[in-house]
Amino acid sequence: MITRRTLLKSGAAFTAAAATSSGLALPALAQTKKLKIGYVSPQTGPLSAFSAADSFMVEKFLASAPGLGLDVEVIVKDSQSNPNRAAEVAKELISRDGVNLILVASTPETTNPVCSIAEQEEIPVISTVAPWQPWFIGQQGNPADPASWQAFDYVYHFFWGLEDNIATFMNMWNSVDTNKKVAALWPNDGDGNAWASPEVGMPPALAAQGYELTDPGRYQNLTDDFSAQINAFKQAGCEIMTGIPIPPDFTTFWTQAKQQGFNPKLVSVAKALLFPESVAALGELGHNLTAEVWWSPNHPFKSSLTGESAADLAKAFEAAAKRQWTMPVGFVHALFEVAADAISRVDDPTDGDALAAAIGSTNLDTVVGKVQWGRDNVPEFARKNISKTPLVGGQWRRKEDDTFDLVIVENAGAPEIPLGGTLETLS
Amino acid sequence: MTINRNLGLGLAFVALALLYALPALAPRAVVQDLFGILTLLVLAMNWNMLAGFAGLVSVGQQAFVGIGAYAMFAAIILLGLDPLVGVLIGGVAAAVFAVPMAFFAFRLNGAYFAIGTWVVADIARLGISQWKALGGGTGTSLPKGTAKEMAFVDQIKAMLDVSSAAAADALTYWLMLSLAVAMLVASYVFLRSRMGLGLQAIRDNENAARSVGVDPVRLKALVFLLCAFGTGLCGALAFIQITRVTPDAAFSVIDWTAFVIFITVIGGIGTLPGPIIGVVVFYALQRLLADYGTIYLIVLGCLGIAVMLFARRGLWGMFTDRTGIDLLPLGHRPPQGGRVTSPTRRTA
Repeated sequence: MITRRTLLKSGAAFTAAAATSSGLALPALAQTKKLKIGYVSPQTGPLSAFSAADSFMVEKFLASAPGLGLDVEVIVKDSQSNPNRAAEVAKELISRDGVNLILVASTPETTNPVCSIAEQEEIPVISTVAPWQPWFIGQQGNPADPASWQAFDYVYHFFWGLEDNIATFMNMWNSVDTNKKVAALWPNDGDGNAWASPEVGMPPALAAQGYELTDPGRYQNLTDDFSAQINAFKQAGCEIMTGIPIPPDFTTFWTQAKQQGFNPKLVSVAKALLFPESVAALGELGHNLTAEVWWSPNHPFKSSLTGESAADLAKAFEAAAKRQWTMPVGFVHALFEVAADAISRVDDPTDGDALAAAIGSTNLDTVVGKVQWGRDNVPEFARKNISKTPLVGGQWRRKEDDTFDLVIVENAGAPEIPLGGTLETLS
Repeated sequence: MTINRNLGLGLAFVALALLYALPALAPRAVVQDLFGILTLLVLAMNWNMLAGFAGLVSVGQQAFVGIGAYAMFAAIILLGLDPLVGVLIGGVAAAVFAVPMAFFAFRLNGAYFAIGTWVVADIARLGISQWKALGGGTGTSLPKGTAKEMAFVDQIKAMLDVSSAAAADALTYWLMLSLAVAMLVASYVFLRSRMGLGLQAIRDNENAARSVGVDPVRLKALVFLLCAFGTGLCGALAFIQITRVTPDAAFSVIDWTAFVIFITVIGGIGTLPGPIIGVVVFYALQRLLADYGTIYLIVLGCLGIAVMLFARRGLWGMFTDRTGIDLLPLGHRPPQGGRVTSPTRRTA
């Protein structure tokens, strides 16, 4: 039974305990020789699906580190899917924990605040799982003015870009006979604005190949009525639908579209269809939707840390986590591969400048493909900080037991990745 | 009483001097922690002023934080001004925004006022998302090296013999500390003044206050504008440290209003030391529990409910009730001797 007295007592004890552990008392002065690596990702909140493989991969890395002669400690921090919190934990890692290297994964909401802070504090960062345009351009002071863009000295990113995603989607569309009328659902957020951009986005690519675009304008995330957009798409007679909504918005949109009789032949949606859970939530409506695929167990790559193939890695994850593999599994693993490789190539990894230089000169075959910065498949201005990994197109197939399989149906951008089937239309 | 008072004042000055000297004595992590604590403290004192003393329960404080942050970014990126000037512009912009906001929101009362301010804050968020020059919904970062090139950073760097990043930390920390001290002193002086009494009279019974000659609209508007200014300054300063702004982060109702309400309620709404106690408790909980994910928010919620049920005037209120000790008392002692010329007032 709680009385005011006991509450006061326990409250006081709680506060006292908290005060002693709050770090205000005495900073730790003892310096170990261990290299400290900070790892930031959205482990809770709306983006937590990206982080399902985190603890599994950190353990795997720590288990294999002694074999590689690395004496490391990994400090894991949760961004809570909140950019303010991401900036806060980055500061904490740098000034409280004194990390020598930060690894950060998943969506610009987490990668960008962490990279901005680390660049200012001159701590090297390896970053992944965010298309490179929102990552690079989003961190510039004035994203609208390309002349003012500057390269970074300490932060390095590997992933694919919008141009790869657009090419993958359009290759799929080109292989099917349609009226070439495209419906676009682009929100007013980092990804939506990048896709809709008349300079780097999809509109110029569509125009170049004779597609006709219907873009009803940017909408706010978590909209609950898409009738206006659906009407515009129906009136224009669109047979192809694309966009980059967040998963709950796509579920709302697609259910309403079906109710209101919008029946495109092909639906290629980025971001919303990455995870089997979000597709399964659509039930029958999820069958044969297409999405970008950045990693799968069928990718012909293997880990430089453990020698496991992509298939082995996915199987190990499925056994440990008791759930279907997801694309971030490979990328979180690759993050630690790149880190281990860079650390082993410098004499003193606690020297931030040397470590940053080592990361910049990486040339490593990882479980997600080759990671090497400075290659010419990235525009000049971003080449120093961006390394591109291959991207293919996949289609979700509903199975008898209501689960979904992701089948690779398009590989023009990366022919080394085998096809698993052929593209099917919805109607 | 006077001896006690002088002793108290002396102790306060020593504590304050220690806080100001901190960047020279303590490691950066402590300075950054205290910056975070002071940010929440300033926000909580502003909200306490509105809700605890003026009866204006606003759930739209994030509007002022966001406007302050965006005005600061605009001043730096679009006008090329020094970040410190940007902070000032941020405060002014928030106060200017409060004028139309007050015009609409003051037509509403109680719960309607709370919802109204939230709506206005969301309108501001949606409006700012359309501002393409600052990245629209994508947001933007401070240009590289902004913090290092801030005014006074070089002098602090030389004085403390630290890196420029640490000097920038020290500078923003001093500014936030000064803002918190200024808020506390100004609140105390204001609340002890004639206007402060009027304000609390309005909170307790608006009609009765009007009947004795207090102008409610004028007083409430004044407090609302000043608190908007303080909150805007605080938001702009906080975002110099965050270095990156997006509409969702700058207008986050959880970060800038929900936590602040929690702090004030836990510490003691309607008391000046309340927010200070609340922020200490909140910060301790955050440090202890933040790595446990959602459990952290569940514990915060349960604690909030427990305090509201069992200690309705917060931890500080409970402390004064039991001990009779009240730092920064807002009541006035009855006039000494002979005739009583004015009724005795005690704040609830």
